[in-house]
Amino acid sequence: MKGLKPSAPFLLLLPAIVVLAAVVVLPLILSLYSSFTPFRLTRPETFFVFIGFRNYLSILSNADFWWAFGRTVLLLTIALNLEMLLGLGLAMLVEKATRGQRILRTLMMFPMMFSPILVGFQFKFMFNDNIGLVNNALQSLGITQDAIPWLIEGHLAFIAITIAEIWSSTSIFAILILAGLLAMPKEPIEAARVDGCTPWQTFRYVTWPFVMPFAYIAMTIRSLDVARAYDIVKIITDGGPAGRTELLWTLVGRTAYSDARMGLANAMAYFSILLSIAFTVYFYNKLAAARAQIGAEW
Amino acid sequence: MDENASARLTRRALTVAHRVSLFLAMLVICLPGIWIVLSSLRPTVEIMAKPPVWIPQEVSLDAYIAMFSGIGKGGIPVLDYFRNSLIISVTSTVIAVAIGMAGGYAFARYRFRGKSGMFLGLMLTRTVPGIALSLPLFFLYVRLGIIDTHIGMILAYVALNVPFTIWLIDGFFRQVPKDLAEAAQIDGCTRWQAFWQVEFPLARPGIASAAIFAFLTCWNEFALASQLTRSVNSKTLPVGLLDYTAEFTIDWRGMCALAVVMIIPALTLTYIVQKHLVGGLTSGAVKG
Repeated sequence: MKGLKPSAPFLLLLPAIVVLAAVVVLPLILSLYSSFTPFRLTRPETFFVFIGFRNYLSILSNADFWWAFGRTVLLLTIALNLEMLLGLGLAMLVEKATRGQRILRTLMMFPMMFSPILVGFQFKFMFNDNIGLVNNALQSLGITQDAIPWLIEGHLAFIAITIAEIWSSTSIFAILILAGLLAMPKEPIEAARVDGCTPWQTFRYVTWPFVMPFAYIAMTIRSLDVARAYDIVKIITDGGPAGRTELLWTLVGRTAYSDARMGLANAMAYFSILLSIAFTVYFYNKLAAARAQIGAEW
Repeated sequence: MDENASARLTRRALTVAHRVSLFLAMLVICLPGIWIVLSSLRPTVEIMAKPPVWIPQEVSLDAYIAMFSGIGKGGIPVLDYFRNSLIISVTSTVIAVAIGMAGGYAFARYRFRGKSGMFLGLMLTRTVPGIALSLPLFFLYVRLGIIDTHIGMILAYVALNVPFTIWLIDGFFRQVPKDLAEAAQIDGCTRWQAFWQVEFPLARPGIASAAIFAFLTCWNEFALASQLTRSVNSKTLPVGLLDYTAEFTIDWRGMCALAVVMIIPALTLTYIVQKHLVGGLTSGAVKG
């Protein structure tokens, strides 16, 4: 601490730091503390009883929690990978289109405008076994006679949720990858073709390395907000049937508000926070690496 | 068959395949939305019909009329929800963008120690899942007496949006050449004047997109709002959607109508900003 005047960037960042400290960091410290207490909303005096790691120990031995944890990781892995692939495919389809690109690009962004909770209701409606669009279509086309119990059978419900999640987020990947494709210089591709590359080789060794940072931007943005799947699951199945689609986040919500066991829920919440941070840091580092590589090559 | 003809045939087949897959992809993207709009205009009998009625027999705006006609006539206090949503979203957006401009400018124009660590740290505060954050916030807000108020929601949403507005606005300021502001300063502007008269106007479209993006985040947010709001005092539209669900039944038509009401502002605003938004997110992607 030398000199009386703090530096300009520090002053400029101060408001952001203050707000985030007050609304995010401080509450998180509070919840960290309460995860070491048997705190229940209905009995405020329990807030001051210290029980050490007992909440964490009871989580570690709780099968439901580990199922929810595993299911969350599975959902994120499947969804993020498929979103990436489908987004790439969609972006390339749109980029190849000779006419109506503007309209196509607008249509492509359509799902981005839907709030996750709307996506939830929409797919709950469409996958309804009795009146849903999906079953109606399948039955009218004669593919199946019986109504498929989409949201009533555990595995099917998980598939339905994955589809909803993918539908709502593929366009983020598509739009950013498309931006990458459009920003790409044309000469390297032509050069590759002249040198006799097959279309696959051109894609693999010329297009893909260039587009990769854009894909990682999309990944980073998505991982900042992976928990939006909470809204979707909350609405479509609310963790049911019989806990078969329970994710970490819905489990936290249920433990905290329905069972009123705040201390335990906060301990669980810390697992979900660590999961999100792990995803974000991973993709942020990938992004930095990909940027550095591009910078060196082009 | 000579080689030319077969090459032409392959090419044509490829074009057709491209068209078809593009059409199918767009159909999958748009169909759910179209279905919602359609369902909001049909009578409940038709929605529930078995075998399904594919082509609407009668179309009416009854669901919208019922929705706005108030409590007791099959409506929900949608105007209150709308007002709450608007007040909370607009106020928190304005504050978040002001804070984001200061922060974004700091990241784009200054070099300081721990810059990238700081940036990552700010981003990480955004990763905290809404439901996990809602537990301690709920507790704090009850203690402070700001549960179920506009102030409480605005505070939460400002914090939610600041990391992302900083990222976006940082990107837009980086696109403005540094030399311009320096030239202005050589010509006698202070740094403050140079900012407002040179850099701000150039980055303005981008900042506007960051604002709209922040607005949409607030407009659509559910996980926090569902726990921190309790009554018509502060319930927002996404939470209001739940009013159409009862224990065992859901009023699909009414819900679809409210969904349309929610989606129209989002649709318009997203359409306006789409181009700038992508520019802000990807600036610096090519040159790190």
